[in-house]
Amino acid sequence: MKHAISFILNQEEIQLTVDSHRTLLDVLRDDLGLTGAKQGCDTGECGACSVLLNGVVVNACMVLAPEADGAEILTVEGLADEEELHPLQRSFIDHHGVQCGYCAPGMLIAAKALLNRTSRPHEEEIREALVGNLCRCGAYPDIIKSIQVASRARR
Amino acid sequence: MISRKPHIIGKPFPLIEAQRKLTGRSCYAGDEKPRSGQLYARILFSERPHARFQLHHVEAARSAPGVAALLTGQDLATRLGAQVEDRELLATAEVLYVGQPLAVVAAETPEAAEAALARIQVTYEDLPAVFDIEEALQGRVQVHPHWATYRGTDALQGDPRRNLAHTLRFRRGEPEDAMARAHVVVEHAYTTAPLHHAPLETHGAVAHRRGDQIVMWVHTQAPFLQRAVIARALKLPLNQVRLIGQCVGGSFGGKVHVSIEGLLAAIAREVDRPVRLHLTREEEFSATFITPAMRARIRMAADAQGRLVALQAVYDWNVGASVDLFLHQLESVLLAGTGPYVIPNVSIEVNAIYTHLPPAAPMRGLSLAHVHWAVEQHMDELAERVGMSPVDFRLWNLVKGGDKLFPHFVMHATGLESCAWETTKAIDWHPEAIPTGPNAMTGQGMALGWSPILIMPGCKNRVTIQCDGEDLCTVIVDGMDVGQGYYAFITQLIAFELNIPVEWISVLPTDTDAYEPEWQAVYQNLLWSTGRALLRATQELKRQVLSYVSEMWEEPVTNLDIVEGDIISYATRRRMSFRELLERGSGQGAPLVFRATGEYAASTDGGALDQRLQAFAATGYAAEVTVNMKTGHFVITQLAGAVDVGHALNPEGVRAQLKGGLVQGISTTVLEKMEFEDGRPISTDFMHYPIATTADLPRKLYPVVVEVPQSTGPYGARDVSNHVIIGAAAAIGNAIYRATGVRIRDLPITAQKVYDALQRAEKGQAP
Amino acid sequence: MHTFDYIRLHSLEEVAQHLAQGPGVRLMGGGNVLLLAIRRGEEAPQKVLDVKTIPELRDVRYHHNQGLKLGAAVPLQHLATGLEVRRHYPLLYQTAQKLASPQVRNRATIGGTLAWASPVSELAAPMLCYDTVCYLWSPRGRRDVPLHAFYLGDFRTVLMEDELITHVHLPPPPQRSHGVYLRQTVRHDGRRMIAATAVWAMRKQQNLTRWRIAVLGVDDRPKRIPEAEAALEGNPHPEDIQRALEIVQAHIHPQDVIYARADYRRVVLNALLQQGIHQVIHQLQSMRS
Ligand SMILES: Cc1cc2nc3c(=O)[nH]c(=O)nc-3n(C[C@H](O)[C@H](O)[C@H](O)COP(=O)(O)OP(=O)(O)OC[C@H]3O[C@@H](n4cnc5c(N)ncnc54)[C@H](O)[C@@H]3O)c2cc1C
Repeated sequence: MKHAISFILNQEEIQLTVDSHRTLLDVLRDDLGLTGAKQGCDTGECGACSVLLNGVVVNACMVLAPEADGAEILTVEGLADEEELHPLQRSFIDHHGVQCGYCAPGMLIAAKALLNRTSRPHEEEIREALVGNLCRCGAYPDIIKSIQVASRARR
Repeated sequence: MISRKPHIIGKPFPLIEAQRKLTGRSCYAGDEKPRSGQLYARILFSERPHARFQLHHVEAARSAPGVAALLTGQDLATRLGAQVEDRELLATAEVLYVGQPLAVVAAETPEAAEAALARIQVTYEDLPAVFDIEEALQGRVQVHPHWATYRGTDALQGDPRRNLAHTLRFRRGEPEDAMARAHVVVEHAYTTAPLHHAPLETHGAVAHRRGDQIVMWVHTQAPFLQRAVIARALKLPLNQVRLIGQCVGGSFGGKVHVSIEGLLAAIAREVDRPVRLHLTREEEFSATFITPAMRARIRMAADAQGRLVALQAVYDWNVGASVDLFLHQLESVLLAGTGPYVIPNVSIEVNAIYTHLPPAAPMRGLSLAHVHWAVEQHMDELAERVGMSPVDFRLWNLVKGGDKLFPHFVMHATGLESCAWETTKAIDWHPEAIPTGPNAMTGQGMALGWSPILIMPGCKNRVTIQCDGEDLCTVIVDGMDVGQGYYAFITQLIAFELNIPVEWISVLPTDTDAYEPEWQAVYQNLLWSTGRALLRATQELKRQVLSYVSEMWEEPVTNLDIVEGDIISYATRRRMSFRELLERGSGQGAPLVFRATGEYAASTDGGALDQRLQAFAATGYAAEVTVNMKTGHFVITQLAGAVDVGHALNPEGVRAQLKGGLVQGISTTVLEKMEFEDGRPISTDFMHYPIATTADLPRKLYPVVVEVPQSTGPYGARDVSNHVIIGAAAAIGNAIYRATGVRIRDLPITAQKVYDALQRAEKGQAP
Repeated sequence: MHTFDYIRLHSLEEVAQHLAQGPGVRLMGGGNVLLLAIRRGEEAPQKVLDVKTIPELRDVRYHHNQGLKLGAAVPLQHLATGLEVRRHYPLLYQTAQKLASPQVRNRATIGGTLAWASPVSELAAPMLCYDTVCYLWSPRGRRDVPLHAFYLGDFRTVLMEDELITHVHLPPPPQRSHGVYLRQTVRHDGRRMIAATAVWAMRKQQNLTRWRIAVLGVDDRPKRIPEAEAALEGNPHPEDIQRALEIVQAHIHPQDVIYARADYRRVVLNALLQQGIHQVIHQLQSMRS
């Protein structure tokens, strides 16, 4: 079954036709060419495909594309403002929050979701907010630090 | 080389490619924009561990809609291997493990490729399989009956009738006599579980035959090595295979050797359109490599004064159906097999044993982690038996600079002792267990470790630097950045050596066509070898630049220098921007190009093992755990890890690597295990192969950088990434013992194992 | 993934129409279980009905006399953030915070989670303690089933082919009650559960009463152990606690799994329960009368 859907993606209106069984991740990556959200597991375990769906973090591999109809979506590509990096991105660079980098887009989105609801999270809250994002390099300590510093800098 | 503290080196320096990664613009496997006319490849994998098989309806599959090409072992019977060709590219008659490739197809869409493979019916005639090394050694079932005919086996000490792939031995003194006379002798066996590299990015690549060259865009750690293996398997000259390295989303050793890339090259050769292959998560777990399980049998003896007098150790590795990828590790195990201690009487045997499990590939220092898992728990037990503290006993027996360890190797200055002090200090060392709750005991443990920096025979590294008006400064390397900060390291060194701004420098994607196709590039301990090649290249480049200017200004070269991007004369105070010089060109309309290549090869190429040994990286660990004495449940509360990096060229980067290694250390110590059921992997997703999350981090994690310069390393530096992990398991095991009085000798350490051991101890059975 | 038709529903009547068409039709909440099953080829529905767009299934209503009524499509994340949950059903709040990840909680629905009926479903533990009742709806009408009677074991429930969960209802929480949720899992984020328990009770004058014990990972369904609860009634002495623990052991049937043996799961549950009971007693007794 085909669905004509429209949604706001990184502040831009998108209209397209999708099959029922395709996921939001498929559509972002294959139809829209936005490969920032990564395909890490396809089982909702790794968080590499995290995107914001109506302001909350979800795994795009576990969302059907037609469910995106009418939604507002933010992917890592929409995080930076024009040419200016988002403070989280800056902080990840400054504090080694990225090693191989495959988990980084998902981490940033999960962090953004956290900062949307808690402006100055403490370490424990950051850890909890990231339990759904695997990092095989084990860069968690620096990722946590990057987020913490970024949140402090915002004020 | 002297250890001067340069202005960029030794200061924080972020990853240069981090920005691309963080904005979603990096191109990992599966991210590449579809090329026009692109086909999709899929692979049919064996479902049996050992069987004769037949493929039916292959022609139906070949003529399925959308299929451009399909290959089976009947079409292409060839073997694969870097040193020993003990794998088939496509199985021809027998399968030797679950996940072995049987057919590869390229079709218009992934679905069409799937549908084509679904047409193939596989019938298996099961043969007896062995998964256990003891059973394999009995030789009732042979994994490789035709082993002796494989290329490369003549260089091995193996015995196919006993499934022995290779044996290495080292002997010093008279260990048997020394054991007999020793004050205490402790003997135990230690085991570990098979593991998976489990990178978040699954294997993937794109290949396109252009004329008679197959061009591949690969996400691997060792393009040069892979090119050599692929070319040989396809019987092509090296220059007809070209690999271009792309962003790698985690390798840890799992993307060094050829897995799917060989199949992709083979199928791409059949068509003249680009072909893309990207494994699913399930395929990644079940059809790439595993890191083998180890069994160590250790006897160690000390005298009444607490001096180690003898060690007898046998390290057995279950390498599955292929030893090829693991050979280099066996050498490291042999060299490091005593632990970092002086022991006068030693015998070490390292065996690789074939079974019907997937091919083995090393994983980030883990083979050495497993060696130390055994030796360092053993050291604690001996310390207790001779009545010394774990720290004192180790320091008393420690290897020191000047010790002649092997005929051709004298130990250099080492920070082992500092590693011990600094890590124990970090966790506020207290040697006794402390009750910390109604049923809770807290204990601390430590471990030391060492890791040989060993150059593979015939390996080199090259670095080419080009300065011109167009791109300013471009660098061609033969190693890959897999997240360890390799490109940042290169940029940093060049900026320092040429004294130019880092912004001028760009590292080009690694491309096997950049160099004459004659050698294999080193892919580990890259800092070591690339660093030295790089120094040669920068020196040559600088020489070229200054002699050009010297002619132009008619001044002796010795007056000239490059300072912060300017070329200056110390004599005349003349100054001009290097950038302007490049952009202006030669004046005759021709561009001005400086280009220099530096090369590094282990000086004693192909020599004895200890001649290829460059150095030992030293490490130290201290861990604290709190254990529930009723259930065995435990929490790692503190973990400190130190590496003597020689000289931290990029201290924050080093600490980042350290922290990451410690987290991986925890993960592989308490969580990870590849589970098989009759040879069939059942850990095929992250639910069945759990890796550490943020919830598994200890409250306190201390990365400790120790710097005892290495006179032979670039700026006195040694490598980091591979060595970080090696003592974590042992330190955690020792901490568990300290807290509970029971020892776990089988990795991973789980709560249930601790509980079982506590129960046995309560019943008075041997712990 | 296997192909199917995705259909957004807007009313219960629509649900009825589709479900009446018989097999091949599946309801979807967050899809965490369903999409995985489809991807693995374990299920191959022709139609997937999204119930998240039915307005009444998104209801959240709290009234101090009537308690909390939650629509079946309310995401679990609400239980980890909602003020009324935090204030009046702290045990549910605390459990929800530990459950899976933000990504999963933002999608997973209360209805889908209960209908999943896994023996390790963590949501069940606090819900059982709070005497939750499920409202089931079908064209034949509504029926209310207490959660403890909802599970039939081995991932089965009392739900009929044409039935769905529309709401769950948690009665008003009594004053001066306390509950704890304790789990032991291999990975500390909750993956690979060995055993878990929620223990809850309230204080009436000097008595500790209405004990609730819910256990996970030790039987074919999440379950309460009323016989053990009864043994704790009043002011439990150490012997009573011991007896309650023994009763629990007699009423569970843990299975071996690859990461834990059945006998070990018993040991773990016992330790968690003991700890939970003591914590509840301690908390309730230290409340001012
Ligand atoms: C990565 C991951 C980690 C997880 N970790 C945990 C954990 O730590 N602890 C834990 O407890 N759980 C965990 N879970 C499980 C998770 O809680 C469940 O997957 C989720 O709650 C199911 O809810 P859903 O709304 O997504 O269900 P769906 O997949 O939408 O539905 C599940 C089933 O219920 C049916 N259904 C849906 N809605 C209704 C309704 N209103 N009435 C009747 N039937 C209905 C569907 O047809 C389907 O059969 C995890 C899941 C994932 C993917």
